[in-house]
Amino acid sequence: MMDYAARVAQADTYPKMLRLNAKEHGNEIALREKDLGLWRPFTWNDYQTRVRDFALGLIELGLGRGDVIGIIGDNRPDWVAAEVATHAIGGLSLGLYRDVLDEEASYLLNYGEAQLVFAEDEEQVDKLLALAERVPRLKHIIYSDPRGMRKYDDPRLMSAEKFAELGRARATREPNLYDKLVDATKGQDVAILCTTSGTTSHPKLAMLAAGRVLSHCATYLAFDPKGPDDEYVSVLPLPWIMEQVYVLGKGLLCRMKINFVEEPDTMMNDLREIAPTFVLFAPRVWESIAADVRAKVMDATPFKQRLFDIGMKSGLGALDQGKRSGLANAILFRALRDRLGFTRLRSAATGGAALGPDTFKFFQAMGVPLRTLYGQTELLGAYTLHPAGKVDPDTTGVPMADSVEIRIDNADVHGVGEIVVRHPNMFLGYYKNPEASVADIRDGWMLSGDAGYFNANRQLVVIDRIKDLAETARGERFSPQFIENKLKFSPYIAEAVVLGAGRDALAAMICIRYSIISKWAEKNRLSFTTYSDLASRPEVYKLLQREVETVNATLPPAQRISRFLLLYKELDADDGELTRTRKVRRGVINEKYAGIIDAIYRGAADIPVDTVIRFQDGTTQRVRTTLHVVDLGGRGPIAEAAE
Amino acid sequence: MATSLEVRGVSLRFGGVRALTDVSFAINDGELFSIIGPNGAGKTSIVNCISGRYKPTEGQLFYQGRDITGLTPNARPKLGIGRTFQNLALFHHMSVLDNIMVGRHHLLKNNFLTGSLYWLTGARKEELEHRRKVEEIIDFLDLQSVRKATAGTLSYGLRKRVELARAMALEPRLILLDEPMAGMNFEEKEDMARYVVDLNEEFGMTVVMIEHDMGVVMDISHRVMVLDFGRKIAEGDPAAVLADPHVKRAYLGEEDEALVDPDDAPPAQESAA
Repeated sequence: MMDYAARVAQADTYPKMLRLNAKEHGNEIALREKDLGLWRPFTWNDYQTRVRDFALGLIELGLGRGDVIGIIGDNRPDWVAAEVATHAIGGLSLGLYRDVLDEEASYLLNYGEAQLVFAEDEEQVDKLLALAERVPRLKHIIYSDPRGMRKYDDPRLMSAEKFAELGRARATREPNLYDKLVDATKGQDVAILCTTSGTTSHPKLAMLAAGRVLSHCATYLAFDPKGPDDEYVSVLPLPWIMEQVYVLGKGLLCRMKINFVEEPDTMMNDLREIAPTFVLFAPRVWESIAADVRAKVMDATPFKQRLFDIGMKSGLGALDQGKRSGLANAILFRALRDRLGFTRLRSAATGGAALGPDTFKFFQAMGVPLRTLYGQTELLGAYTLHPAGKVDPDTTGVPMADSVEIRIDNADVHGVGEIVVRHPNMFLGYYKNPEASVADIRDGWMLSGDAGYFNANRQLVVIDRIKDLAETARGERFSPQFIENKLKFSPYIAEAVVLGAGRDALAAMICIRYSIISKWAEKNRLSFTTYSDLASRPEVYKLLQREVETVNATLPPAQRISRFLLLYKELDADDGELTRTRKVRRGVINEKYAGIIDAIYRGAADIPVDTVIRFQDGTTQRVRTTLHVVDLGGRGPIAEAAE
Repeated sequence: MATSLEVRGVSLRFGGVRALTDVSFAINDGELFSIIGPNGAGKTSIVNCISGRYKPTEGQLFYQGRDITGLTPNARPKLGIGRTFQNLALFHHMSVLDNIMVGRHHLLKNNFLTGSLYWLTGARKEELEHRRKVEEIIDFLDLQSVRKATAGTLSYGLRKRVELARAMALEPRLILLDEPMAGMNFEEKEDMARYVVDLNEEFGMTVVMIEHDMGVVMDISHRVMVLDFGRKIAEGDPAAVLADPHVKRAYLGEEDEALVDPDDAPPAQESAA
């Protein structure tokens, strides 16, 4: 394997690395873009020429060291070239998400004092022109796609071709200028401004040094090797840190080929044509791929459905024993991998949120080497990953190298606390915001704001944002949402509320998923009348108890659910019990169900309920039922009281 | 500006039904011209006369100064006239790509026999050139994701777009769009309006459009003609047409009584009936 750290020592900025690649591998393919239905290759020489023209074009327009240059649009070769060109003149690249809102775009462009923006097409140009006086410093807009641009006569607009022409002319006049510029770039200088996800206020801009990104990529590559034979399809947003790491950092360092899809909605098709060796998708993308497969199987012939069932059963059975099933591969998985474009996949990742265990197993059985990664923008994206062969869907893996140090601060008795990290390549602080930098960095350690712990195998488990944690009366921290999400991965559970803040132990109020459980009941010849009736059946309780016990098995003892009941109605946003995005409103629920919650913690086995449900159409219904509380044993006063 | 199409005193009768009565108008090169009117006003009839499906009972049609009244429908694409249909007319079992390729048919030099000798007769090279043109249209209309899908499986809005693509593949100088936005949701309409404008501005095609959505018509048309019961009742720029009292009465209804000239108001007994 290549010594990537040594290569970074040789060329510690993007333009230097690009020049080195062009010199050594000029005619090899660096990038591909699908255009007019065909994959068009860009060699390292083409890449280098485009970057040179752009860089000298920037110089011609009077830009230089320290200037911030914005880039907005779909993932395209010009996007990447614009970033490397910005670095070549000593500028700072600022990627904007393609669906950024006006307000945020103007905030970021003003904050960075950007004078020039690379905008892909009419859509993005429209957006920038609409900002008008709100971005007074913006002097140039370079667009790559001329379609629809005829109607504008704004003096700030220039086509990428004309802009590159400017650079080419300068290169003819001063053939050595570009090399001099590249020689002057320094790896430790800030080169990238990366927006951090601001959930409440304006996003902050993390200052990243290109040399550090490359070094971090070298660390990453040592843990998860890639090389020139690898194919990557770039579909994640380029302003996002992980895509920066893959497309620019790793792309330049290990020369894996980067492929740009034709349009976002042709992604699955283009993915299949390329058959990448590595993919990173958000959990919901993996979920939707799995759901698509299941939906398509339902439309297939009975014979194919039968094959699918046999294949899945045999595949999952083999997976449980840590093996692969040859039969399943022959009748199902080989074809499935081909359909999804996963035939050449050597490495696959997910991150950002939890992925359901069933989906995880589905892909693992298929032979997709799925792993979870975890990281933050400030720490250059991922820094923990599952080691090959030690994949545990409940964790986010281990630090990629010894140089990545992870500490758990303010841990409770069970080791749950804030994840605090440092590594030699982390960010240099927030741009023009030293207060925020001081708040988030202590003695060189970055406070992630996430809560987590190390499990028995020394793998990191990330639970939730630290501010969303609750604490039991014994001072044990837990994340209600984390456990609720785990419960909701069960097809039988629609909603769940985990209780326990200020109490002795954890309990759950669960809403059954009526559509699925009613089918299940029909199949099992169980008669029922209404939701409330179904939710009070002992058979249903038994079914749900198994689901809760499965979840409990994945949790440390202190976070296990010791009692649960099935609610007589579904939680509803119209009743104020959920937000419109279906998040549990704990305050409302604690108040509304105070009687029931008290009864659970009193240790009652049955709780009589007599209440009125108001439906959306205004009608009301009186509900009289008895809720059973299932005690799962465990520990603490609840168990004692129940005895 | 040169005249693209001139319609001179065209009447069309089906037995006793007078579909069109003495309709005359002229469309300039590069114009986006809309024809509006209530149901049964004769909009599609006039478009069918232009495209050659109907032969006018009286009157003449001139395209680029040439009399095309008696030309067969299949002779017109060669002159540069293309059209789409109000009710979709795609080949449902063919792919989107093949449907659009059909639009290139009159531009192909190879025929059934020479085409079978693929390499020898240059059919291969010819197909590649045409495929490129088709891909440009696919790119223009954002049809990439359905390029290889069977036309019949697509949503209505997409099929409308494929039909437009096929008409564009003819490389017409004058394109007739018969209700391109009918049955579409707001978003699809917005997209289609953008394509029509780009068609006109980027590709320089003269566009004749029949459309019911007044918002779209008034927003994007250069000039509008209004038909009612087969007669032309108004013609001019959108704002002027919108303000025309005849148009209000015939087409837009009379919600705003105050704006209607008392002389133009219908007789009392009629409104009582």
